[in-house]
Amino acid sequence: MSDTIRHLQLPLTEDDARGLRLGDVVTVTGRVFTGRSLFHIRAIEQELVPPIDFSEMNCFFHVGPVMQQAPDGWQVVSIEPTSSIRFERYGGAVVRKLGLRALIGKTTMGRGTAAALRDVGGVHLTKIGICGNLLRDQVRRVVDVHFLDELGKTEATWIFEVERFGPFFVDIDACGNNYFEALDEGIGQQLADVYESLGVPADFAYTEVNP
Amino acid sequence: MIPRATIAEAMYEAMRLAATTLPPDVEAALSRALEEESDPLARRHLEVSLENARAAAEGKGLVCADTGFPLFYVTAGGDTRVEGGFDALYRAAAEATARATADALLRPTMVDPLSRRNPGGNVGPGMPKVDLRFEGDGSGLEIIAAPKGGGSEIFGTFYRMMYPSDGEAGIVKFAIDCIRDGCYAGKICPPAIVGIGIGGTADLCMKLAKDAAVLRPVGRHHPDPAVAAIEQKLFAAARRLGLGPMGARGVSSVMAVHVETALTHTAALPVAVNAQCLVGRRWRAIISSDGDIQYTGELP
Repeated sequence: MSDTIRHLQLPLTEDDARGLRLGDVVTVTGRVFTGRSLFHIRAIEQELVPPIDFSEMNCFFHVGPVMQQAPDGWQVVSIEPTSSIRFERYGGAVVRKLGLRALIGKTTMGRGTAAALRDVGGVHLTKIGICGNLLRDQVRRVVDVHFLDELGKTEATWIFEVERFGPFFVDIDACGNNYFEALDEGIGQQLADVYESLGVPADFAYTEVNP
Repeated sequence: MIPRATIAEAMYEAMRLAATTLPPDVEAALSRALEEESDPLARRHLEVSLENARAAAEGKGLVCADTGFPLFYVTAGGDTRVEGGFDALYRAAAEATARATADALLRPTMVDPLSRRNPGGNVGPGMPKVDLRFEGDGSGLEIIAAPKGGGSEIFGTFYRMMYPSDGEAGIVKFAIDCIRDGCYAGKICPPAIVGIGIGGTADLCMKLAKDAAVLRPVGRHHPDPAVAAIEQKLFAAARRLGLGPMGARGVSSVMAVHVETALTHTAALPVAVNAQCLVGRRWRAIISSDGDIQYTGELP
């Protein structure tokens, strides 16, 4: 993890995205839009996307915010980034279709999305800690909401104006490298020792009941 | 006779407290993990999570915005009487859940699995889930409200039917592989409380795992030394994986490993794993027979 925080302006430029490295710690300032599973499925299977100029808003925040209606409009109660890896089936196609340069979420994404981010010039940013209340305080304004009636508050696409939103860290860079995949390779190499400490024989195999 | 309104109030308040306050034993375990971790990212994950929980306890938000599956665990004594009969527990739980959702203490997260339609209040077939058990000859009610986060439930649930010949090696291999899988990129939100069920039928096995993850104080060992030995062995092995908070480099992939067992078929060795995430949300309401309610984050 980098010690310094880079403050990025949205929409993210290709140069800014390509200048980021794995482990860089960043915040973003500008407008983000939200979505989860139904955003991804509908965008690809039904060609249904909210009326947003994605060249001006290229940061997709994977989240189902907790929202409450107040007399003066919508209030954010808490916004906890959700696991991006669940969207991997459609992740690459959505990045290419909308030309996205920043995805913010929890966990990471797979090789398909990483390849799309490499081609488009974009990154995946992952959350640091459980941070939904801290992020809420960085939302300056709830700008708009799409698909609220059909999808409900959790899956709707909200548009937030955010300021120094984060920090997050870069887990997929614009070269398609993945922080967690690299970490997991090291863990795989230690696994034999871990099995040994548990008394699992090196040649252990589960009892097979099929041919 | 415990009034139904008292039960609904206790369920609401226990759910509110669970959604906004870290249980004391969980907070202590996270603080211990912070002392152990040296990787800057691993430490930051824990510092931020603790700070975020403090904000929630001060009335500014939620411990985690994924309030997940609304679960209620109810224990009644042999002499417990409930106004409207025990069926009233289901109605009280639905009422409490809908109210907590309307008050933005719970996110509307429960949807129809096929149409994906969201009824908006976390109430519908099977939800909120009410688990009822009878214990002792008391006349009160104990309710544990547990909003169980999606990360731990979705990415941290595993089951395998093994056979006697797979033995303890099979059990611990399966468990450690599940822990590694769940911790990848922080899917189950480590440091996790990992519950492991061994024995029973398939559904009982999974229930043992979930009860072990959700209903036992962090790190309390099973009273049977043979079971406790498996817990200790897996806990030590999980700390050797090289994985820490939220899947970063570190040691505290797990806060605790809890194992529960049940009798099973002589031909079978079912094993289930269910993880609870680092915020370990649950809060307990204790209702006396005359309707007094006490709340505590401590588990019995």
